[in-house]
Amino acid sequence: MPERKIKIAILSLLGIMIWLLSFTLNEWLIETMPRHQLIQLPSMFFIGVLMGITASHHLKPDLPWSIAVLIFVMFSLLFWMIPHSIDYAVISPGFNRIMHANMLLAGFLTISSIRHTIPEVKIIFLGMVAAMIIAGGIALLSFNILLCSAFTIEQQKQTGTLLTLLGIALYFFMAFILFSSLSKK
Amino acid sequence: MRNVFIPILSLIICLTVIGVWTLGFSSFTIFSYTLKKAGELPRPLPDIQMINHEGIVFNPGEIKKYKLINFVYLNCPFVCHKINNRLEQIYNKIDTNLVPNEIEFLTVSFDLKNDDVKKIKNYHKLFKGEISGWTFALPYQSTDRYFTDFLSKLGIWKYTVPSTGLINHSIYIFLVNRQNQIVRVFDPARESDEMIIQGITQCLKEK
Repeated sequence: MPERKIKIAILSLLGIMIWLLSFTLNEWLIETMPRHQLIQLPSMFFIGVLMGITASHHLKPDLPWSIAVLIFVMFSLLFWMIPHSIDYAVISPGFNRIMHANMLLAGFLTISSIRHTIPEVKIIFLGMVAAMIIAGGIALLSFNILLCSAFTIEQQKQTGTLLTLLGIALYFFMAFILFSSLSKK
Repeated sequence: MRNVFIPILSLIICLTVIGVWTLGFSSFTIFSYTLKKAGELPRPLPDIQMINHEGIVFNPGEIKKYKLINFVYLNCPFVCHKINNRLEQIYNKIDTNLVPNEIEFLTVSFDLKNDDVKKIKNYHKLFKGEISGWTFALPYQSTDRYFTDFLSKLGIWKYTVPSTGLINHSIYIFLVNRQNQIVRVFDPARESDEMIIQGITQCLKEK
């Protein structure tokens, strides 16, 4: 099968996944905080990443642009971790779709920026994202008051635990990247 | 120059978006955002008609005393009762010369569908002893839209979870002066009973 057809098939599959996550399963995904924060949001980001892989040969940002894009990606993740944003995303379907589009774009741009940047930036980016996720998780765990009006405190704590674990896993991943790049040198 | 300019510009744009969204990095939850968006203190208490647990219609603005106003709903599984228990302690600790002569407590239900005068009267009876100067009330002949508008002008966020029917809401307590101006907002999640009592007596002294 020619490479182009494979790409079209992959992109169609990703399109179907976006449709499922953003429309068909949206009601179910926004029902609880862990589903919204740990399934819908990261899924959109990773679909964006997969789309970015197929296009990364065409996108070759230089160092300033790759740093600028990684700053945008980091702030996008941060923005959708703010309780105010989470609430609006659940209450307003339109705002939720903005979240999906933002995550797709962030994921799409991440791969080409990571590939065309220096190792120091990669490490700082992954480290800061991991730290941000852990901090977000700890904040959700430590507050005994409701931070998002669309969910419950139990869901808030559950999300906090899972986010903290995810952040720790990302830290190990970052350490793996760091040591593997050092061993190559 | 270009090497620095592009990342810095990206950083500035991102910080600006988050800064605007959180009203200057001060309101990260929808509760604090709604309160801050309602305006600086002092500001007038929005106009509304209410009916109390005795079935008497009144306008809170016509009570020429200080008023301590909070919002609850009777089917609340947890936090509303906890807040009212805290208010009961505050009520009992506060100087007896102040309640009800100088200040009245007003607990308002925002469950327009399920709560009625009979229910709030029964709820009133659950509090131990004589609690004169503490009124339980409901919005009177108010539409859902008008009451939601009243709450947002006041700085209270309310959201009914569609799947459970639970009402998640702000728990702020408002101190309103004789001129019907909101002069203090207490956050019982962050402020102790003593801090709230101190805040109330301080405002009463400043009258």
